[in-house]
Amino acid sequence: MRALQYAFDEALASLWRGRTSGLLSTATIAVALFVLGAFLVATSNLERLGAEWSRAAEMSVYIDDETTPEMRSAVEAMLAPGPLIVSFRFVTKLEALERFKQTFADLAAAAETVGDNPIPASYEVRLHTTPGSQDAVDELAARLRRSEGVVDVRYDRQWLDRLLAAVNVLQGVGLVLGAFLTVAAALTVANVVRLALYARRDEIDIMRLVGAPDAYIRGPFIMEGVLQGGMGAALALAALATVFLAIRGRYLMPLAAAVNLSSVRFLSLELCLVLLAGGMLVGCFGGLVASGGRDS
Amino acid sequence: MDSALSALRAILKALIETSKLSKLYSRGVHALRDLSLTIDKGEFLFLTGPSGAGKSTLLRLLLREELPSEGELKVAGRSLADLSYSQVQAYRRSVGFVFQDFRLIPRFTVFQNVSFVMRVLGVQAAVQQRKTFQVLKWVGLQHRMNSLPEELSGGEQQRIAIARALVNDPQLVLADEPTGNLDPDLSLEIMNLFREINASGTTVVVATHDRELIRRVGRRAITLDHGQIVEIV
Ligand SMILES: Nc1ncnc2c1ncn2[C@@H]1O[C@H](COP(=O)(O)OP(=O)(O)OP(=O)(O)O)[C@@H](O)[C@H]1O
Ligand SMILES: [Mg+2]
Repeated sequence: MRALQYAFDEALASLWRGRTSGLLSTATIAVALFVLGAFLVATSNLERLGAEWSRAAEMSVYIDDETTPEMRSAVEAMLAPGPLIVSFRFVTKLEALERFKQTFADLAAAAETVGDNPIPASYEVRLHTTPGSQDAVDELAARLRRSEGVVDVRYDRQWLDRLLAAVNVLQGVGLVLGAFLTVAAALTVANVVRLALYARRDEIDIMRLVGAPDAYIRGPFIMEGVLQGGMGAALALAALATVFLAIRGRYLMPLAAAVNLSSVRFLSLELCLVLLAGGMLVGCFGGLVASGGRDS
Repeated sequence: MDSALSALRAILKALIETSKLSKLYSRGVHALRDLSLTIDKGEFLFLTGPSGAGKSTLLRLLLREELPSEGELKVAGRSLADLSYSQVQAYRRSVGFVFQDFRLIPRFTVFQNVSFVMRVLGVQAAVQQRKTFQVLKWVGLQHRMNSLPEELSGGEQQRIAIARALVNDPQLVLADEPTGNLDPDLSLEIMNLFREINASGTTVVVATHDRELIRRVGRRAITLDHGQIVEIV
């Protein structure tokens, strides 16, 4: 505890003395964590998008125009709410056509010219999104397809899968890039700390010779790394938050609305703390490496 | 049983024992050669001899700033070469060392230089203050407490180095030319200070060229030349 207090005081003093070179390592850590943080903001929002999409997962069961009420009630029996199905709703041919016209105004005229309404009636089925239910859903779809009066069953989660795959790729890229930058930042910290160490080697020799324990000799340098890392992380978070707030209203919210995402969020408090701790860890590592062996 | 008893007696009486101690520096300089010597607990010993005789080298080995090339060096029955890193640091804290070139920390004030080891040891601030003030008074520099080393004369810096060596009640004081920058009167005063410390049971080893000083203090003196003992008075 005493050694920690000492290390902290000395590190602060040393940071102040070497503020220009300290700025360099603080800045590199800030850049590394800014990039990492930006990727995290993007992927965490995309992940939420995926969650919201899968919550709204639907299956469409298209019905032949000639379907009898008996056939329909057989289908409806299969769609009864249960462990797989939340609810279903019948969409009449007319309703479907109206929707089509609304969504594709340009094509509406074309639909008119066909004369007869070409769009089939359907059931819109809301599914539970319990993980691992995929097989049961596949099985249900197969049974529905075999039923009389059903022309097609669509429940493709391809979009969802694509989105999730994209999130994975983005996460991977972010991690690799972040890792590279983090290593670079750690090396910068190590060099800056080594510089401070070199400038004070006489003093360190003297401290060794009067019997100061290792914690007092290396402690301040490691603490200096930790402080640089912490400041870099704080700077990165501040910059990220500023950028986020600046572009949220103009760009992010409309983008979210376009893909049916309810809101765009910044990093969670936990992630912020993780980034902060990460910065300190990187700095600590740099300080440890720089202050190196304990040759007496 | 016999050997155990004699070992025990040796531990009780001898503080420092060297046997066939040699130090060969990288450039082929034999700074010490086959030095066998015993320094008793509570002794006051002078090391003298011409420049380059090996006095500083012996003291450096005693602080474990250097390791012997050959032979053994024991303090309080333990070979210094066998100590772990943290044991070395603890041992050094039990030794008061006055360096020939003072080795004060430039950015520390006089007070901070003297009290540094106590601070590291977690001695209460009030005790640190009292003890530091006391040793600074002994060397006559209590009024320079807040000065930086660079603001002091060579002799004043030397006295600060002496104060730092004495502040922590060491079991062993090793002083390398502690009066090299002092006038004769002040030199004698510092020697009297060492004698007082010695009277309270601390072992003192002083390296010096100053034969006149040795004569006036009148204690055992070992003369080295080319790394060997040439005379014991
Ligand atoms: N680090 C070193 N590398 C090489 N040779 C050294 C080193 N330190 C001391 N020497 C040599 O070892 C010999 C003994 O040096 P030492 O400093 O012990 O002498 P000394 O008796 O203290 O001399 P002085 O009275 O001038 O202080 C000298 O010849 C010196 O040149
Ligand atoms: Mg010398």
